[in-house]
Order: sequence, then structure tokens, then C-alpha cells
Amino acid sequence: MKKVFFVLSMLFIATITNAQDKFFTKTGKVSFDATATKSPENIIGVNKSTTMVLDTKDGNMQFLILMKGFEFERALMQEHFHENYVETSKFPKADFKGSITNNATVNYTKDGVYNVTVKGKLTIHGVTKDVETTGKITVKGGKISAFANFSILLADYNVSIPSLVADKVAKNAKISVDCSLELLKR
Amino acid sequence: MTSKKKKTITIILSVIAILIAAGAFYGYKEYNRKQKDISDLSAHFTLNSNVLITDFTKDEKASNLKYLDKVIAVDGILKAIDKDDKGNFTLVIGDTASTSSVRCSMDSIHNTEATNVKEGSFINVKGVCTGYTADELGLGSDVILNRSCIIKKQ
Repeated sequence: MKKVFFVLSMLFIATITNAQDKFFTKTGKVSFDATATKSPENIIGVNKSTTMVLDTKDGNMQFLILMKGFEFERALMQEHFHENYVETSKFPKADFKGSITNNATVNYTKDGVYNVTVKGKLTIHGVTKDVETTGKITVKGGKISAFANFSILLADYNVSIPSLVADKVAKNAKISVDCSLELLKR
Repeated sequence: MTSKKKKTITIILSVIAILIAAGAFYGYKEYNRKQKDISDLSAHFTLNSNVLITDFTKDEKASNLKYLDKVIAVDGILKAIDKDDKGNFTLVIGDTASTSSVRCSMDSIHNTEATNVKEGSFINVKGVCTGYTADELGLGSDVILNRSCIIKKQ
């Protein structure tokens, strides 16, 4: 009987510790850079309210971005981005669902910088595409952060740039991700 | 050329010159236009944070049409003050018993206002609505206001 109780309590503890596997942020940063060599200025938009959840046990991750949250330095550029190019009223959300393919190599309990590969599906402007990129997970004093840089072909997501300004906007937009995560308490 | 003709041409040329100058000036102003400071704009909607959350929870699509890009003034209990690693503040407003909130990301020029308020107090905040995240990730659902500022009471 004692043994059964022991096993049961161990199982109970194990399920509790499962809740320690998930990390999240609601203030993740994602930036969009479509500056071309012929651009008269930088075309950079930043979103500071990105939601991200990472399950450290299996490396699954999910991002949710409200497209209206992308801000640009120039108001005109911001309006073009939202109204003409990415049509954020029609497609207010973007998301990414994927996983770290080499999650086993990351020791989330030990400080360090871990190179990871992330694979998943990215949905922007109503179009879903497979995306694979390298990134970094850093662990410092128990705090986990996730970084990645990759580029996407705007045409892949049916974002068309008028021919008049075609050479002033990059065809490949650089996306960078910077998320400091905290433990998800239940 | 008669002097009358000369005069007409001069007038036409100066009108064209003025138009070009005005166009260039307008183009230059447009190009350099910055985002407006939300504290200078009047709110399209003034409502309680719970009403805004309920509206989005009931019908996200209709609420998107109604609220997106609009300046919204909300009041409610300040549940939490989130500060990220870059020093940006987010004010989390809503019922303390509920996981749903209105998250107001402070405008950089109003960022420090967030240090003047206390958790648990009743506050008024104004910002531009950027949308709603439903509770699909187990994090509670949120309505997001961007470029927010705290409304000072007179």
C-alpha cells in the first residue's frame, strides 16, 4: 500500500512539474525589414506585442501576431503597409506554429546559448507557407529567450508591390524575432 | 509678342510655379509625417475594459470592424504593470478574477507615465486598438491597445 501511495504521489509530482515546461511572453518583439538597396530610407516595422508560447519539453512553439501592431517611423509608410500591402484590416492576424527540431540539444536548466533549427508553418496575409530557419535559445539565470532571423519572399504571401515603387521595396522581407519568456504558471 | 500676351504667359508660369511648390511642400510634409500623439486625439469609444473584452469575446469579426485602428479610452482596474527587458511598459487592465484583460502597450513618449500608477487602482487609458487574441494558447484572452497613454483626470 505504501508503495502504491509512493508511486501515485510521484506521478502527481510529475504532472505538476509538467506545468513548468511551458514558457510564454505577450510582449515579444518581431520586426519586419523590407529595405532595398535603392530604398530612400529604411522600411522597418516593429511589433512589440507578440504572443509566443514555447513548450520546452517537446520544443513546440506558437506565435500570434496582431498585424495592426506593426509600427513604422513614418506615418505614410505605416499606412501603405497596412492599407495597400499587407491589408491588415482584412487579415488582422499572423501566426506561426512549429517546433525546434533539435530540442533535445537544448538544456533549458543550464545557462548557455543554444543554436536551434525551427520548422513550421507561417501564416501572413491569409497565406500559409512552410518556413525553416535557424535561431538561438539563450538561458541565463533561469530566464529563457528566443531569437531568430529569417527572410520571406513577399510574393509567396501574395503581397504585391506596385511597379512604380518595386525597386524601392525589397522582394525579400527580413523578419527578426526577439522574445524574452517567462514561466507559464497554472 | 504683345505686352498682353507676355502678361498672360507670366501669370500662367507663376501659377504653375506656385502649384509645383505647393505640391512639393505637401509631398515633403506627407513623406515626413509622424504618428499622431494619442493624447492629442479624442477617443472614438469610451468604455469599461470588461465591455470591450465581452464585445470581442462575443463576436471578434464584428468587433474588429468596429474597433480596429480606432482610438479607444478604457477604464478599469489595473491588474498588472508589465515591464519588458527593453523597458517598455504594458498596463494590464481588467477584472482580477478573470484571465482576460485589455493590454495597453504604452507609447514610447508616454512610457514613464506607467511608473506613476499603482496596481489595483482604477485607471483611464487611451490607445489605438490593434486586435484581440482569443484564449487558444492557455494564456487568457486579450484586447490590445497600442501607443497608449494614461488619461489625466482634471
